[in-house]
Amino acid sequence: MSLRTEKILRSLDRAYTGPVCSVKDWDTRVIPNTIMAKLKQYGLEKTCDTENPINCDDELADQFYKAGYELALEIGMLNVDTERIIKIEEDELLDTLRHKPAEITLGSGADSVVLKARKPEDPAFPLLAASLGIVVSEELYVPIVEGIVKYRELVDVLHGPSIATVYGRQIRSGTPYETLMGRYEIELRREALWRAGRPGMANTGVAGAVTQYGHLGGAASISGPGNVTMALCPVELKTNFSVFHRIMMAINYDMRIRAGGFSYIGGYAGPPEGAALANVAVDLLIATILDSDYTSSYVYDIHLLGNCGRKALWANSVAIQAVSRNTRLIRNKIVNETGGPCTDMFMYEAAVGLMNHCVSGASKTTQPRSAGGKFTDYLTPMECWWCGEVFKSCAGMTRQQANEIAKQVLPKYEEQLKNPPKGKSVQECFDLKEMRPSPEYQKLYLDVRKELMGLGMPLDKIYNNVALPR
Amino acid sequence: MKEKILESLRDAIVDCDVDQAVKVARQALAAGIPALEAIQQGAGKGLDVIGARFSAGEAYLPELILAGDAMKAVLDELGKALAEENRGLSAALGKVVIGTVSGDIHDIGKNIVAALLAVSGFEVYDIGIDVEPKAFVKKAEELGANIIGASTLLTTSMPYQQDVVQYLADSGLRSKYYYVVGGGPVTAGWARKIKADGHGYTAADAVEVCKRLVKSGQTPGTFEPVIIEYHQG
Repeated sequence: MSLRTEKILRSLDRAYTGPVCSVKDWDTRVIPNTIMAKLKQYGLEKTCDTENPINCDDELADQFYKAGYELALEIGMLNVDTERIIKIEEDELLDTLRHKPAEITLGSGADSVVLKARKPEDPAFPLLAASLGIVVSEELYVPIVEGIVKYRELVDVLHGPSIATVYGRQIRSGTPYETLMGRYEIELRREALWRAGRPGMANTGVAGAVTQYGHLGGAASISGPGNVTMALCPVELKTNFSVFHRIMMAINYDMRIRAGGFSYIGGYAGPPEGAALANVAVDLLIATILDSDYTSSYVYDIHLLGNCGRKALWANSVAIQAVSRNTRLIRNKIVNETGGPCTDMFMYEAAVGLMNHCVSGASKTTQPRSAGGKFTDYLTPMECWWCGEVFKSCAGMTRQQANEIAKQVLPKYEEQLKNPPKGKSVQECFDLKEMRPSPEYQKLYLDVRKELMGLGMPLDKIYNNVALPR
Repeated sequence: MKEKILESLRDAIVDCDVDQAVKVARQALAAGIPALEAIQQGAGKGLDVIGARFSAGEAYLPELILAGDAMKAVLDELGKALAEENRGLSAALGKVVIGTVSGDIHDIGKNIVAALLAVSGFEVYDIGIDVEPKAFVKKAEELGANIIGASTLLTTSMPYQQDVVQYLADSGLRSKYYYVVGGGPVTAGWARKIKADGHGYTAADAVEVCKRLVKSGQTPGTFEPVIIEYHQG
């Protein structure tokens, strides 16, 4: 039995034997009470500084880490299917922190990339996976993906998008349609990668798989350690058997494990400080309980349906820095934009959010969430390229520089956060034959880029090496 | 005396204290305060406070849920007196069966809507996640509800929202229930396509939609849906 199998079985056993707790009690009493007590104990209440949305205080980040470490050991994760808590011992957590690899190789051959743990203000380029699981029409899937991965310098890993139908049939989650879709999506991705000349590019999961069926359907086609499974846990600090199925699938097919759990401002974890603390704890718990190679957890604001407002920026900055400064865990951190394709709002949100993640020490991101991921075909390669350009260019900036830029860019979009512009569909603003944005979108890109460079964002770092639209 | 009791009832809701809320509700009845007044001027005011605090980012989802629980306990305690007053609160504000449809285990959006509905005075029955279409209808029939709410975060579970309304129609029950749909990928266009009665972009919008539907008094399934939609800018 492998060490990984042994660890996962230990967690699974605890899902049957751990302390009993109902989901409702967990959500409404255990989580809020424990988090609020921990914030108070460490003097972290009301530390959210919306005037300085990117944290520059190392001591504060370290306090969040200490409190999050304690929280992880104290609370564990609830398995909702058995309503039992999976707790961990401190030596297990220390084992995770000591022995988890600080870098892993994804993909194969000339298309392989190295994913590394990063520190705040790290000059090393982080990686970008694209796109998130935004739904696109079946007939557009291959050209959109081909466009997304066009620039090797900008997009490193293929994650999505999701597909609207399978052979013209509507996909219903948890049914054989979804199982069939798992394999089909991977076939389409392969075709797109081949067309783009990047056949060895790493794949993460099956983007359209919303239950274990879709993942299981596609796993055999993306087996091996160059590819990554994806297991997303329920909010807050919970897991379930669907997640365990995906982990077992990764073991069976020798894949890397990316597992995540989100923390919501306004949700069970409460204020921005509570969400940040929960986010630190979930990174530590998932790496241990689910033995992930890297985590994908982030803070989200339920009032804004995204994480580009001041509170979420601050919470993400402090949570990412807390773990980056004190561990060598690799973490994927997602920005949830709400503006749609071909809007300045999307470009500003992505710029501020990704700059924040980059300077705070994220290893990787998965992008974009154009128009909040709400509309079919509201995804173009252009958003992916922009995200890659910004995320990578910001490597090496100081947090102070980033914070000053964020303070200037936020007023350009924050009033629209509760009512963001939908933007345009791929058919309306991108030429999939020429693989170029429409003239309107290109002008918008160049204008925003110039504006942000004027504010000090070092975008030339990537731009000069890539034949981007000019 | 009366003002003090109503204030205590309000405070019990704000404190999410179920036991205290029930105790004060009994005191209200013993003091001769009409049940409807106790609910509207006491417990209801407490819900207003919690709702406003949530909107302002000063209260969080657990408080919304627990305040809703306290309100439900008060309604249970005062239900008999309300019926005797012949001015049932549920008839005035609506009884809602809400859940996340099949194949989807996401619950936070649904929980927020359920809690906001509860703190807005609706009687809410949350039937959980991964709920089969006919289970929505079965529960609504069992409870005598007048609104069914179906949520999903997944495009691949959206067809199940259509199945609920189709099941209602095929069962000859469409005219009994206002049917409201919501969730991340759910749009106004989808709500119209499946012939839902309402859709809101945010949780607060969903509450407003339910209020408008109940107030309209129209027969479900016979009118243009009430939609508060995503800005098209």
